[in-house]
Amino acid sequence: MPVLPLTGGHRTGSPLRRTPRLALSETIGLLPFFTLVAVFLAWPTFTLFRMAFERTADSEVPAMREAITGTYLDSFVYTMKLSALSALLGAVIGAILTAAVVRIEHPRWIRNAVSSFSGVAANLGGIPLAFAFLAALGTQGLVTKLLDWGGIDLIGAGFTISNFAGITVVYLYFQIPLMFLVLLPSFEGLRPVWREAAVNLGATPLRYWRHVGFPLLSPALLGGFLLLFANAFSAYATAYALSSGGAKLIPVQIRFFLQGNTITGKGNLGYAMAAWMIIIMIVTMGAYLVLRRRAERWQR
Amino acid sequence: MNKKTHHPKRYRVLGSLILAASLFAACGDDSSSDVEETTVDTATIADTETTMAEATEETTAADTAATGEACTPDQEIIDAAKTEGQVNLIALPDNWANYKGILEAFRTKYPEVKNPVANPDASSADELTAVETLKGQPDMPDALDVSPAIAQEVDTKGLWEPYKPCSWDEIPENMKDADGKWVAAYYGIMAIGANTTIITDGAPKSFADLKDPKYKGKVSLNGDPREAGAAFAAVMAASIANGGSFDDILPGIEYFAELKELGNLAGTDVTEATVISGETPIWLDWTYNYPGLAPTLEENGITWEINVPSDGVYGGYYAQGAVKDSPHPNAAKLWIDHIISDEGALGYIQGGAVPARYAALVAAGKVTDEMKKNMPADELVAKVAFPSQDQIAKAKEVLAEQWPTLVG
Amino acid sequence: MRSRKKAPIWAWLVVSSAAVFFALPMIAMARFAFQRVPVALLGRDTILKRWTLDGLFDMFSDPDFRPALWLSIRIALLTVVATFLIMLPTALWVNTRAARYRSLVEVATLMPYVVPPIALVVGAGGAFRDIAPWFLRSDYSLVPFYVILAMPFTFRSLDAGLRAIDLRTLLDAARSLGASTPRALVRIVVPNMTSALSGSAFLTITVVLGEFTIASLFLKPTLPLYMSYSQGRNPQGALGLAVLMLLFTTLAFFAASRLREKGRRSTREAIGVLP
Repeated sequence: MPVLPLTGGHRTGSPLRRTPRLALSETIGLLPFFTLVAVFLAWPTFTLFRMAFERTADSEVPAMREAITGTYLDSFVYTMKLSALSALLGAVIGAILTAAVVRIEHPRWIRNAVSSFSGVAANLGGIPLAFAFLAALGTQGLVTKLLDWGGIDLIGAGFTISNFAGITVVYLYFQIPLMFLVLLPSFEGLRPVWREAAVNLGATPLRYWRHVGFPLLSPALLGGFLLLFANAFSAYATAYALSSGGAKLIPVQIRFFLQGNTITGKGNLGYAMAAWMIIIMIVTMGAYLVLRRRAERWQR
Repeated sequence: MNKKTHHPKRYRVLGSLILAASLFAACGDDSSSDVEETTVDTATIADTETTMAEATEETTAADTAATGEACTPDQEIIDAAKTEGQVNLIALPDNWANYKGILEAFRTKYPEVKNPVANPDASSADELTAVETLKGQPDMPDALDVSPAIAQEVDTKGLWEPYKPCSWDEIPENMKDADGKWVAAYYGIMAIGANTTIITDGAPKSFADLKDPKYKGKVSLNGDPREAGAAFAAVMAASIANGGSFDDILPGIEYFAELKELGNLAGTDVTEATVISGETPIWLDWTYNYPGLAPTLEENGITWEINVPSDGVYGGYYAQGAVKDSPHPNAAKLWIDHIISDEGALGYIQGGAVPARYAALVAAGKVTDEMKKNMPADELVAKVAFPSQDQIAKAKEVLAEQWPTLVG
Repeated sequence: MRSRKKAPIWAWLVVSSAAVFFALPMIAMARFAFQRVPVALLGRDTILKRWTLDGLFDMFSDPDFRPALWLSIRIALLTVVATFLIMLPTALWVNTRAARYRSLVEVATLMPYVVPPIALVVGAGGAFRDIAPWFLRSDYSLVPFYVILAMPFTFRSLDAGLRAIDLRTLLDAARSLGASTPRALVRIVVPNMTSALSGSAFLTITVVLGEFTIASLFLKPTLPLYMSYSQGRNPQGALGLAVLMLLFTTLAFFAASRLREKGRRSTREAIGVLP
């Protein structure tokens, strides 16, 4: 959206005036924010990295290297696979859902209802979510039992909620709403007039989407996907509650090392793993930002 | 984001009511001569490790003199504790070994000393973190109840305040620190619980039984052995059952790998909710975690059965002690005294845990059969042995390496 | 003119299927929480038996419940206030004077996704323990972390709200009419942002009431921790409470958004700016 120049004082004044880079009036409003981020986000992160590199006395191999070798590498790969898959599915299904909801104009409350529920569901996780799925689709699940009455034996067919596929499905419960929340503004920004204009020019719905809709949305879509990836990557309680396979997840392993009952003295590995998590996420977020930039370009 | 973290101490499971019933039937004849029973037990032990019975034997001489009289802590300590007014406790869930009853008993004995429990759900590692984080603060924990591994760490960091409760001599050697830094007020035995509403054709009674195809997809471990004490103990017990020993946990790991391959080992983590819903019909947990859920299970119309596996008897204790430089040192000492005392011990018994001074109490005739209904059978109690810290440490290393590859 | 086209079938199919997917697990959980019959014994004759709210009542009468609830509410409210105090100026500045810092700010608001909660807590513990241990002891130490955790949502919401109302134009108009900037902000901008403000507030509250990892690692007895602990003592009650909270927050969210809608429409009608 083009913004009119100027509300902030007389910056475009005399050419003699050299505007200092950090003009106070410009930045004072940002001070609380940056202070917060510095003290409560940046500093703990630096401390973490320091601890990850410092505490290597226990083993011959530096903790940072050990944290991505052998079984731990498997854990990283597993975690990333789960995150990527749930993010992909969540993004696709979320996009379709958003498109559907935006198209429904009557009754009017549907959009609000889905939004409200999404706000809550996106933050759901852990035992309630895990158990809800167990209660529905576990070996003693309500749905399992109902299907059984109807003649469909889920368990016999090898279905289980506690394998990789099952956990992915459970993750979708918060991934899809998150995608919806992220995409809704973008979809709503697709003005109906554009669509009507395209139709007037003779385009089929498909062409519209291909040449207008999708390009406009793709940065938001890809960005949403990356956000979902990040979201799944740091989640663990849900998977852990569902399955012993959850123990392969990196955040769970970090917790083993740092807070568990049986393994002691491996704290440095825990810090190193957390540090690696951050590194991976920095790369992911970097990609997200590049895509956002391109989105800005389209929206002008 | 609301994500659960694993809390190993919380698994309350079902009653040994059936066990008690069978106990009653079995012990019906012996109830008349408690003292005789004890000596028969101590004589029949032939195990290699220091079993409870052997350890008890060492203290039997001192026993006969000390039993029968409940000792009381120094009056000085009691008075000082009353002045302090409270003891900060942490991580003592109500349903764990009947801590609810034990806390109440303390309040009855010493009404002037409050005993609030912070973070009942905390793990042993969390307790250590709390001590370090809250150093010098009025809400710093005064006394801890931690796994042996963490007890070791607390010791290394020099955070224990040594204190020998008045009935120190009656505690077996292998259940206390030689310098008095900590005591193990109770221990439990690894047992197999079965939801007999779902498992209708016979509950498993041994590790070998668990491999039966009829239990496909029904067996669950109580957490991950790399993190949870109960799961770790289950693997050790399985190891003993399959030719391993305290020094060799690998057979146990291989056993569970096999169980997983057979499809018997289900993936789901055991919680009270999954036990009630029947999602985890067979699970392994400490004997003292079963009595807690009995009422809820009954309400839901579920029947259950507890069996200590006949081929692998494994006991595990938790260590308690006072914290160095804590805000209420005397109250802490009073608390330690309380959990070792008769009232404490009987409280543990009601929770299905074996108190440290069990043999002495039985010898003094203080344990009635009614009280024993949640306890494992006497012969099993006698067979229990504990691994040493070194053995545990070594086992954990092997576990960390092998568990992911073999069991995953 | 709002188009009154009928929505295509596929849209309804998608939404209904989604509704089923999202409702079923919750229904199953509610059934477990409120009916004392295991699924194994569920049948035509038992389906209506033993429904009870006892689990919930036990939860409510538990002495630990109210302090935990109260603590979580306090922390949630403080977090909302702190969020407004910190994020509102940020959004305002980024949309006016500090426009060139926008990218930096946006990157910063995404950091919570970069630093997973468990890593953050570990680092924070190490960072604060030696230097300012008093901070870690306070219950309110969770507030700044929660502000950060909610940042991606709240900043986006506030920022979108400000962009939607074309902040600069509004401010220019108000100032040309003689209002000082603060006055313009309070009287004009904020009332036009109620939707974004309440949306942020709700999202923040949801985040706080559901956050577990940081609270558990800092050992603060918040509501999510209490519920996790209650899983052990009273699983059906705890899950019943979870269902209740879900229902309640969704309905509250929904009600608030409806009110906003109405408010927005009437404001727009009043100003004369209709879509």
